[in-house]
This record gives sequence, C-alpha cells and structure tokens, in this order.
Amino acid sequence: MARFTDEELMRKVQEGFIVESEADMTETYKKALIGQLTVQGDTELMSAPAYFMAAKDAPSTNTMVSATAIIQDELGHANIAYRLLEDLGVSRDELLYERPPARFKNPYGFDQPLVNWAELVTANGLYDRAGITLLGDVHRHTSYGPLKRGLVKVGMEENFHLRHGEVWMRRLCEAGGEARDMVQHAVDWMFPMGVEWFGMPDEKKHHNAQLDFKLKGMTNDQLRQTWLKAVVPLCDELAIDVPAHMNPDTEQIELEFEFPVQYDPGAKRWLFDEPITWDQVWDRWRARGPMNEEFVESVRRSRLSVEKMLAA
Amino acid sequence: MGKLQLYEVFARRQRADRFEHIGCVEAPSSDLGRVYAWQTYDEAKWFEMIVAPRDAFHCVNRAEQPFTLHPSEEALT
Repeated sequence: MARFTDEELMRKVQEGFIVESEADMTETYKKALIGQLTVQGDTELMSAPAYFMAAKDAPSTNTMVSATAIIQDELGHANIAYRLLEDLGVSRDELLYERPPARFKNPYGFDQPLVNWAELVTANGLYDRAGITLLGDVHRHTSYGPLKRGLVKVGMEENFHLRHGEVWMRRLCEAGGEARDMVQHAVDWMFPMGVEWFGMPDEKKHHNAQLDFKLKGMTNDQLRQTWLKAVVPLCDELAIDVPAHMNPDTEQIELEFEFPVQYDPGAKRWLFDEPITWDQVWDRWRARGPMNEEFVESVRRSRLSVEKMLAA
Repeated sequence: MGKLQLYEVFARRQRADRFEHIGCVEAPSSDLGRVYAWQTYDEAKWFEMIVAPRDAFHCVNRAEQPFTLHPSEEALT
C-alpha cells in the first residue's frame, strides 16, 4: 500500500495506468473498488432467485432449460465478483452467509417477486440491458486489470440473456391478447424500476470516487440515458407503452413522469402522482422490497442442506 | 472433503491458440476444481481447459505474488 497518494493514483489511472494488485492501490481506491464489486456480486447473485421464481412458469421444457442456463450464468458472474473481493481480503463466507439480508447491495428491482414468464423475459430485456450498460462501461473504462479481464465472460453471457429477453418479448407481443397484455403489465412496473436502477442524478451527486479512480467511465445520468436509448425504441417497436419519448431537438430520451416517484410494492404499481425526494428513495431502498429475505434465504439454503446431509 | 483451495483456470479455444488465464475457482480437491471450472467458465466451446492450484505459481520478476494474492492468503501458503 501507499506506493502512490490518492491524487497521484487518480492522475495515473486517468492517463491509462492499470492497477494490478493491492500494492498499486491507495486505501481510498481499495474502498471504492470493494464497494463497486460488492454491488456487482450481490446484483448478479440476487438475480438468480428472482429469475428462478419466474422460471417455474416456463412454458416448456426447452424454455425452462434456457432460463436455468441464464440463472447458472448469473451465479458464475457473482462468483467472479466475489472471487475478486476475496483477493482484496474480503471474506466471501461473511458476505454470503453472515450478512443480514437487508445489507445486500442488489438493486431494489431484485427485491421484487417475478411471477410469470412474461416478467422473466421482460427482466431479461430491461434489467439485463441495465447490467450490460453498467458493466459494459466498467469493462471499457475500469483501471482495475483483474476486473477488466473477468468481465469478458460476463459481457458475452449478458448479451445472450438480453437476446433471450428481447426475442421473447417480441414473441409474446406478436402473439397478442393476454400474452401481449402480460408484457405491457411487466413493463409498466419494471420500466421505472430500470430508470431508478442507475441511481441519483448527477446534479445531486457531487463527488464520485469511482469516476475519479476510473472504476467506471460514465456518470449515472449518461448510463441512464444509454439504457433509455435502447429500451424506449424497443418498446416503441413492440407497441408497448412506456412513459418516455425521444426529444428530436436534443436527441435525448425524456421521461413523462416526475422522477423519482413513490412505488407501492404490494400492488407492483408506481404512484406517478406522488413525486418524492432522493432521501425518500433511499429510505424505500433501505426498507427493502418484499422478497429480500426470502431470496437471500434461498441462495443460502442449498449449502445448509448439503452440510446437513454430509453431517448425517 | 478436503480444505478449500484456489485453482487458477486456463483455456484455449483451438489448437495452436495460446492458453489464456480465464478465471479462478475454489474447490476442496483438484477433481472438483476441474468440475467447477468446466461448469463456471462455459462461455466458449473450449478445445482445452486446465486448472492448477494457485500456490503452484511463482512470480519470476516481481515482488508481488501473481493473481493479486492477498497477504493473508500468502501467510497460509
């Protein structure tokens, strides 16, 4: 440690220096990297029980197999982030088995139940798109060499999940009737969830160690806009309504609701007439969504039951 | 079940390719390490994949351990 000062390291990484080991880091860099990897690992991990819940509604054996393959990929991606954390001295066992469920850092969207096939494929289309937007940026820009290499596999597989989502959203929409309505219903609650996924707007966020140390390249608002520019045209093409449109003058996607707004998790409904502050969003996130404890319990269950089996 | 150990994973897509370091798994034996590696790193149709325990690697030209070995792990090996 302390080969460089924070200012020296910031300057070096902005000039292209790649950090390869703890010896290259400062405490501030390491702390920001650990924070980023924890969010990444927890998000990948908690997508697995959420997707598994919906995969039980798969319409055929083949579709169940593809959903299971996606879940296995997500577990593999979580492994990559947690392994990198272990190399930084963080205990994976503590992270996975000893943290209270409320301390997991996955987005609020993965604290929500996914109850049918339309919700699974919409999650692939919208949330995996958010994952690609965020991790694609990290892959291109990160100053941490081991993460840059680890993300090669993640990028390839997330693209498969996204394709799975988009192909199936299209298939259900083309089928019309109830199938199409189910996609519309899924998008109704998942679209604003995706908008919120990218966090506080830039104007509210004054200091960002992840940007200073080049652990990512784009700001929250730039990432959110990148996601919107992919998701809104897709929904338009499928004739699925979303509360957002392209402003031809600015070539930016604009939201048609006041952001952020309150969410009713029980009804899976956004209260568009109830704008809130970011402090209130944080309160809602901290209070966790309805599936938080059950999802964390479900990823812990298999190891506990294997241990019991071996002890018997 | 043995003590958990880290296995570094290398693979190449085709004959004549170089081996690439593609990741790492933790397993209680080299046999399970092989299984976990094959199951986890299934993003390509590999021509060849190999695993080796992390502590079998020795740095030649640098003071730090390879694969960003953490000091607390270093003490164990």
